[in-house]
Amino acid sequence: MQAAAQSGTPAGASHLALLTTYCYSCHNPRTRMGGLTLQGLDPRAVGSDAEIWEKAVRKLRGRQMPPPGSPQPEQKDIDAFVGWMEDQLDANPRAPKAGYVGLQRLNRTEYAAAVKELVGIEIVARDVLPQDTAVDGFDNIASALTVSPTFVEQYVEAARMIAKKAIGDRSLDSTSYPAAAHRGTEAMPLGLRDGGMRLKHNFPVDGDYRFNILFPDQTLGLYTGSLENEATLVLMIDGRVVFRKPIGGLDDLMLNNRKAGDGRQQIADRFRNVSLPIQAGVREVVVGWIDRSRFESLSNQAGGGGGLPNFNSIEIKGPYNPTGAVSTEGRKLIYVCDPKTTSEARCARQIAENLSRRAFRRPVTEADLARLMPFFEAGRKEGDFDRGIERLVAAVLVSPDFLYRTIRGNALTDYELATRLSFFLWNTGPDEELFALAASGKLRTPAVLDGQVTRLLADPKASSLVTNFAMKWLGLDGLAAHTPDQQIFAGFNDQLRLDLVIEAESFIHSVLLENRPLVDLLTSDRTYLNDRIARHYGLPGINGTQFRWVTLADTNRAGLLGKGAILMRTSYPDRTSPVLRGAWVLDKILGTPPTPPPPGVESDLSQRAGEKPATVRARLEQHRASPTCAQCHGVIDPLGLALENFDAVGQFRTTDRQAGNQPIDASTVLPTGRPLHGPVELRAYLAADPAKFAQAFTEKLLMYAVSRELEYFDMPQVRTVVRGAARDQYTLSSIVRGLVRSDAFLKQGAAH
Amino acid sequence: MFMFKKHIPRRAVLKGGGAALLLPFLDAMVPAATAMAQTAANPKLRAGFFYIPHGAVQFDTKFGPEGDRWTPSGSGASYTLNTITQPLEPFKRYVSTIGNLENAASAGSVHVRNPGSWLNCSTPTTTIDQIIAGKIGQETTLPSIEVASETTVQQAAGNGTATAITLSFRGTTPLPMEYNPKKVFNALFGVTTPKERVLNARESDSLLDLVLDRARTFRSELGAADRAALDQYLESVREIERRIAIVAATDISSMKIPERPVGELDDFDKQVDLIFDLLAIAYQADLTRVASYVMVAEGTNQTYTHIGVPESFHPISHHANELPKIEQVVKIQTWHMERFAAFLKKMAETRDGDGSLLDHSIFLYGSNMGNSDKHSNWPIPTVLAGAGNGGMKLGGQHIDLKQRTPLANVHLTLLRKFGIEQSAFADSTGVISEL
Repeated sequence: MQAAAQSGTPAGASHLALLTTYCYSCHNPRTRMGGLTLQGLDPRAVGSDAEIWEKAVRKLRGRQMPPPGSPQPEQKDIDAFVGWMEDQLDANPRAPKAGYVGLQRLNRTEYAAAVKELVGIEIVARDVLPQDTAVDGFDNIASALTVSPTFVEQYVEAARMIAKKAIGDRSLDSTSYPAAAHRGTEAMPLGLRDGGMRLKHNFPVDGDYRFNILFPDQTLGLYTGSLENEATLVLMIDGRVVFRKPIGGLDDLMLNNRKAGDGRQQIADRFRNVSLPIQAGVREVVVGWIDRSRFESLSNQAGGGGGLPNFNSIEIKGPYNPTGAVSTEGRKLIYVCDPKTTSEARCARQIAENLSRRAFRRPVTEADLARLMPFFEAGRKEGDFDRGIERLVAAVLVSPDFLYRTIRGNALTDYELATRLSFFLWNTGPDEELFALAASGKLRTPAVLDGQVTRLLADPKASSLVTNFAMKWLGLDGLAAHTPDQQIFAGFNDQLRLDLVIEAESFIHSVLLENRPLVDLLTSDRTYLNDRIARHYGLPGINGTQFRWVTLADTNRAGLLGKGAILMRTSYPDRTSPVLRGAWVLDKILGTPPTPPPPGVESDLSQRAGEKPATVRARLEQHRASPTCAQCHGVIDPLGLALENFDAVGQFRTTDRQAGNQPIDASTVLPTGRPLHGPVELRAYLAADPAKFAQAFTEKLLMYAVSRELEYFDMPQVRTVVRGAARDQYTLSSIVRGLVRSDAFLKQGAAH
Repeated sequence: MFMFKKHIPRRAVLKGGGAALLLPFLDAMVPAATAMAQTAANPKLRAGFFYIPHGAVQFDTKFGPEGDRWTPSGSGASYTLNTITQPLEPFKRYVSTIGNLENAASAGSVHVRNPGSWLNCSTPTTTIDQIIAGKIGQETTLPSIEVASETTVQQAAGNGTATAITLSFRGTTPLPMEYNPKKVFNALFGVTTPKERVLNARESDSLLDLVLDRARTFRSELGAADRAALDQYLESVREIERRIAIVAATDISSMKIPERPVGELDDFDKQVDLIFDLLAIAYQADLTRVASYVMVAEGTNQTYTHIGVPESFHPISHHANELPKIEQVVKIQTWHMERFAAFLKKMAETRDGDGSLLDHSIFLYGSNMGNSDKHSNWPIPTVLAGAGNGGMKLGGQHIDLKQRTPLANVHLTLLRKFGIEQSAFADSTGVISEL
């Protein structure tokens, strides 16, 4: 067309020819397919069209355009065009360099982490604050972190509760730990079976504490004869067994049969008011069952009815007969002086100064102290020094300066930078070292910044990058709500699901935080498992429920695409979904997510009653025969079909038992015409372009780092970071080092 | 069933049935409730919004009107309910069902915008429950309460996106739906004893003074865009100040307060009932007059083994016009209607001034999807129940509207019933005169 005729350089000419041949027939001013016109735009002067070209480049990279069924350019021509087009975009002088991040409140996981840092109290965020809104799965996006009255109410309540616990007192208090929230999140100590509870409790003062181990209603979960076998319940404090009593067996069975409710009450009473002397401090409390060798089906574990009676909450009451001084983790962090040696007023001021500096992530002003000290004084007046400090702590925790992060200028100040860096890598505010570097103005020196990235990534707090970033990025944080169909997958249970999450999380942790090449996420033959996962995967010779690292012999299992958690997450409860799996690969690995299904589309592929059972593949092909469906599914499905060797819970299979044991066909042809056979070849195909994967990863990491959705003008910076990380094989630290030096990280754009 | 922690044999409770056991307990609270400005001559109107995702099995499956399991017909004596709506039979005098509604705002949403556009028929903006709470909710501790039976963060529905996690918006601020019964309880009755509750309220009040004081200077340090965000925060702070003032002035020590629930229940069916019970208590004790409740989350993988449906709700709602699957979906939808009907029973049996709570309420029950297999945005299955202090037409009726009548017409009509005169709401074209 005209644009082609005007093209100057020979290189530009061939690229314009590609647009003319393959794009303009739909994306012209008349047809405007998908609301997009390319014809008439000049890709050699992207200027204000950069946003459109970024979209076009993404579609081409993902081979989502031209749609399957339309004439296709050669891959090498696409690659050449994409490379050339990205150069035009990267050189665009008109693009802004940074986006705008407004007032940002702490989300509830950041709040919990900050509270632990500040005053040493561990809280379960979801028990204390309401659900935060997420964007693209991430719950730290500033614009979405609005404040509802419910939030304010719970927030103020939380501040008072945390302050009280942090200071601690001798008054009788009772804390109840429901099993639903605490069971199974951590592995049981060796010798105990799964299905117990493991938690940390703060004992504020030396004294006696009463434990109530409560069973549901009065039934002890007796519906299925759980008293038939004797089991032994133990209570451990800091690894030492302090209480041990049997439940079940012939005597208890008789008691139950003879006296029914009263009998069960007698049994349950054995586990109430267990009084124990305990020294002040945060101690680990474990309540669980002694592991036995007799056979128990997996479904009997972890509170799944039958097998064992199961308690549903633990209550800890105390102190009774307290002795000695109140001692908590919080006091160690808060009391930077002793009111007995320093004057009370001066000590309170020192405490206020130290605590609010750490909480507000900036130097404290006289005005800050003038607002806070009256709370100490009011508390001191109504009680003692401790009471004054308690009210002071609550006041610090409700302050907007704690709740909100702000960026005030066009470039981040040193304190703002320390804060952004710390929340990015640690999910909480800066420590003393970052604070000191910010104070001295040295933090932004490239060498210092590099050093801090290395230090922060080496700290255990960096595991927040796995739990709050990677697990959300990969969609694995919601797996608890995924329940495979029990009729089809009878051997599957909650414990195994939890194990699979631990496997995935530990695996991701080892690649990202042990600084391995990013592509190891796809290819690594190491994994972290126990006997339950080994059985599930069909691996011989692994005994015991404790996790350990193993090298996988079966290459089908390598990397994320061999992990049960991912394979399950991308399936329906009763069957696999090549569509979900393909979409997952496109989004997470290739960085080119498909568009959501259009309205009015009937989307089920389940087999019809009375019909000969067909494989998922066959049913999918049926619907891909329609040209409209094929436009998207021609790109999505092939990637998912290559994983058909894994069933809906991630077990390897060669036949489909839901389709009359027909053989699984995991061969497929990509839109490029390239054939793929099974998981191993798919993995090799994806891993062959580590830069593409690194870009998909870097985009999401930048979004998480700066707490906003990315815009088209971020892409040149993303590409710069990816290019810079190439020589380090795209390790997490090389990508992070690049990101924190980018304008997107260091600067603030204009509000819109 | 309210969850007592001990000494209530489960069997006895089951035999007694939820309402039977609950009612004496509720009665015990009536004096406290009446103390709160309730007189026979001046009954307070209540509103409730009950949401179920994934539409209903109506006339638009492959089986046509023959396969419709939702739509009732007739009115008055000839008012005949269908399979899913059958549980409403005992209260059908109080019920109107509405056919042929469409919500343009949820077109093409798949699941991501369905909950959040149900009560505003729009992109995020104030929902009718909140408009009503602004009018009738200012005297109660909680102007409104927002609850759910399970987390509303679901992979199949935007994974935490604002328009999927809540029914209720104030402006563009999504109001979180609480699904932990303990936190719901705490919101209603406080975290501790009634006496300490008042002391705590005073302490919280002084903390909020600090927030407001600091916010004034904080605001002056911010740019215009951030000021807007801060103002929205301050609005919430003031709202809580108001609530705290009511708490500090309200003595609930004479009220027989039930035992605090431990937390979320493992059994979904018991969890649903517990949330309904908490709502019933809140209405009766006049702790709130407006509620919105997500009975099960949009895009949920919840299974219903207690009624013989081991399949997950969302995947099976894509029934592909297969009868066995449709039957399972009908079972789920009927079960939810039963739970709603059980709640209506409690409302009907709870005295409130000169009548029952059902006489003094308007409840909207429904989905924001038509046919779940197609993610369609019409016909939106809709039930209204309650006499609305005489504002609602009684006798029972199915209202067959013109095809694709905007759902906003229902909302506009409801707003009028609550004394909120607006000429239009969202894309409304008029009121529904039959109601």
